[in-house]
Amino acid sequence: MSLGLLVPAFLAGLVALAVPVYLHLRHSEKTKPFRFPSLMFLEKLPIRTSSRRRIVDPLLLLLRALALGLIALAFARPFFSRDVAAQISKRPRAVVLLLDRSASMSHKDVWPAAVDSAKQVIQTIGPGDQIAVVLFDEEAEIAHAFTADQGVARAAVQAAKPGQRGTRYAAALRAARQLLTAAPDATHEVVVITDAQRSGVAGLAGLDLPTGMAIRTVAVGTKDKGNTAVTGIDIRRITTGDKTTIAAQARVTSHDLPGPRKVRATLALNGRASGARDVTLPQSGDFTVAFDAVPLPAGHVNGTVVVDADAMAVDDTFHFTLPDEDELRVLLVVPDDAAANETLFFERALAIGKAPAVTVERRRPSTIDTKSLEKAGLVVYWDSPPLAGPIEPWVKKGGGAVVVAGHRLAAHPGTSPIVPASISGLADRIADRGGTFGELSIDNALFIPFRDARASLGAARFWRYPRLQPSNGTDVIARFDDGLPAIVERRESAGRVVMLAVPLDADNGDLPLQPTFLPLMRRLVLHTSGHESSPLWKVTGESWNPQAIVRTPVVSTPSGEIIRPAADSAGAAVALTEAGVYSLYDGRVGGEPAAVVAVNPPPGESDLTPVDPRELLLGVRLSNDAVDAAQAKAAPKELENRQSLWRLVIVLSALVLIAETLLATHGWRGVAGRVTASPSQSD
Amino acid sequence: MTSVAPATFLDPAMLARISDLALLARTVVEGFMHGMHRSPRKGFSIDFAQHRQYQLGDDLRRIDWKAFARTDKFYIKEYEADTNAGVVFALDASGSMNFGSGSVTKFDYGRFLTASLAWLSQHQGDRVGLITFTDGLAEVIPPSTRHLQLMLHTLGHSHASGAGQLKTSLDRIAHITPRAGIIVLVTDCYEDPELIGRAIAVLRARRHDVIVFHLIDPAERDLPGRDAAIFEDLESGTRIPLRPGELRTKYRGLVDAHRAALADRMTNAGADYVPVETDKPLDAALYAYLDARLAKSRVR
Repeated sequence: MSLGLLVPAFLAGLVALAVPVYLHLRHSEKTKPFRFPSLMFLEKLPIRTSSRRRIVDPLLLLLRALALGLIALAFARPFFSRDVAAQISKRPRAVVLLLDRSASMSHKDVWPAAVDSAKQVIQTIGPGDQIAVVLFDEEAEIAHAFTADQGVARAAVQAAKPGQRGTRYAAALRAARQLLTAAPDATHEVVVITDAQRSGVAGLAGLDLPTGMAIRTVAVGTKDKGNTAVTGIDIRRITTGDKTTIAAQARVTSHDLPGPRKVRATLALNGRASGARDVTLPQSGDFTVAFDAVPLPAGHVNGTVVVDADAMAVDDTFHFTLPDEDELRVLLVVPDDAAANETLFFERALAIGKAPAVTVERRRPSTIDTKSLEKAGLVVYWDSPPLAGPIEPWVKKGGGAVVVAGHRLAAHPGTSPIVPASISGLADRIADRGGTFGELSIDNALFIPFRDARASLGAARFWRYPRLQPSNGTDVIARFDDGLPAIVERRESAGRVVMLAVPLDADNGDLPLQPTFLPLMRRLVLHTSGHESSPLWKVTGESWNPQAIVRTPVVSTPSGEIIRPAADSAGAAVALTEAGVYSLYDGRVGGEPAAVVAVNPPPGESDLTPVDPRELLLGVRLSNDAVDAAQAKAAPKELENRQSLWRLVIVLSALVLIAETLLATHGWRGVAGRVTASPSQSD
Repeated sequence: MTSVAPATFLDPAMLARISDLALLARTVVEGFMHGMHRSPRKGFSIDFAQHRQYQLGDDLRRIDWKAFARTDKFYIKEYEADTNAGVVFALDASGSMNFGSGSVTKFDYGRFLTASLAWLSQHQGDRVGLITFTDGLAEVIPPSTRHLQLMLHTLGHSHASGAGQLKTSLDRIAHITPRAGIIVLVTDCYEDPELIGRAIAVLRARRHDVIVFHLIDPAERDLPGRDAAIFEDLESGTRIPLRPGELRTKYRGLVDAHRAALADRMTNAGADYVPVETDKPLDAALYAYLDARLAKSRVR
């Protein structure tokens, strides 16, 4: 039984309790004073007035405070929720069984124990009760909605098996919350059967769950948490003349081993063993296994690194693919009168870095044709207008173009429709010691490297720059401190054009001398070109969009299943649920795959460190939805009866006030003075 | 009446029941004298003292015509008992007098005392007058052998209220009483003893004999009460919150020091200082008056 308040805001009236306390402390001021012939002598004495700060009549004060408190409580409309609790206890149960099927559940005998626990929960379902079975890893799948048939639920559990994905308790609890909304009249109960992996708690913080939902966790993990996993690989290409070799370094992680463990790590490329190392792993921690350099096979390369199997086999094999050389070709179109050192900083900045390596090829404006654009990822117009021709359709098909505006373009802006802004002269900021960046659209992908260091961009100063006037459909993603656009961007169908008024040379500004120049330029070319590096591997739970590679994608999964992603953008992505290699074909499976992607379980799944089941719900917010829902169903008359307590409280406060009046006006309290001698004064 | 003990008539609580001041005064004096008839203080002598030369302003009726016949000079015959002094009763009517922890207030006690002394003086041949004062003079009745009833009537209708200025009032009294006489001051002496002493000295300089009855209520002597209370000054209305129980000892010390200072200043000024506690019978005050009166009666 608990006490609720209909209008708890009225409890603010409890502030009025300060009134009787104040009056009590001031009481001596209000009583009839003792009239004395002269204070001539008393005024000479050091008089302590502590009596004013002391409660002289605690009983009277208590009664007055009690009366005020009761009145405030009555206005807050109290009610007992005993009836609701009783109703809830008599309701049928609606049990949601959340069964963890993440990769870690394949460790030793965890899964059979989980299945047994699930069956025991199903057995507790009585007449009128319902149970739903939800399988979860990183996502939740309703294996069977609410049913009263134990056999059906048991079959759903029996059909489940551990997968190769990570763990997310939040997804499971959300699914349970959603399911339970379909059973508002039942007592809500959620049973989570899991190995209680700590890595799965992400996302629980801030999750809203109704208070009426009773959550019970059944931990089925084993005490032996020792595990070894291959968690990553780094591959370096070594080109010597015409011969290219690769040197691989695998990262092996051990967790809670009983002692150092000797294992054999084997590297295989395209199914052929290419190297092996015998290593001794520490009890806990990372260990790098360096394999000898091996010749790079032709075509797509799929590889694996395998260590000796342990109790959890799914993370003992690591899959990876080796994409073709990752390179981005940039055509730098410079005007005829451009000096060589004008683009020096820009070219040097792009030359630094790998994955992808940026190759800059200087071109004159007239040399840009369809053939030169075929292998280009980006065209940079250095203070020169794009000429009419193949650049426009190339951009619209997905190419990227950067227009770096300067004094030449300000004088002769050209007429190309892909230029996102016109130019009206030059802004000279030499007089005020140069301009700086002002407003930035920091959420734009161009500024990803600077989101945590926004101030670093403010150090650059610009003496002279063109006045851009953006055309329709153009986004201004950066402005100078005088409000003029600094960087504008416009999407052209699948492509993108970015125009900079920011001087990229050292004559009109000092941006090339700033530390931000290199990451900004690299991000500029990657963002504008839309280049995406091909990863060596992905993890289960991610998705893969093969439509960007082939027109009619057909995907072969590691288990041999054939997937034909829908052509629309929403369904084009393939969910990567299995560890292994996914192969992409165009139209039909056969021949050389158009692309491959290796998938491994999340590294976090290899760490079997459990979390205390009580900690699982620490970050969860509980709301009164369940109680409110139950109350909403109560009849108005019943609701009124529950709240009739306020009348009793009002009567009680009236009685207290009467008692206070009687107490205050009778006995010694009725006498005003508190001096023993009562003066007889004649008027 | 004879069966009633004389002291009973002098008890303030008893006197408070008598509304007629004349009756009260007569009761007090007769009761007092009844117990005193064998006392050496019973009356004034009328023995011849000496002759002195007539001075301008002397009553012509007091010229010794026989001596004039023999010497052809005017002589005044003086008797020891023939003081026929003018007695001015100065009663403090300030607000502080309107206090009494017992059956009578200090002002009532002062009225009884004044009426009794006036009755006594009248019947011993003195001229009696009355001055009531607060921060100035309120009622002034010049000394006369016919003013006793007027005095008693005035006393019966007087009230104590308002702030008091004893020093100022005494200065005014000195100003309006040019003839030497007896000043009987009835007050609670809430004034700096030094100032009172100076004012008394002025009166003495005008050859007045001064008797000061210092009326003290037991409550203002002992500071009543134990718990916290607000004390309000009867004259100024000033209020002070205090805990009397904690201050009593120090308060008594101040009161005693005040009384000692008053006695010292009065003595130095040549006045008689008679502290009178209002819960005590009037006889002590009457004794003190007669003692002082006897001493002053040997005026030449």
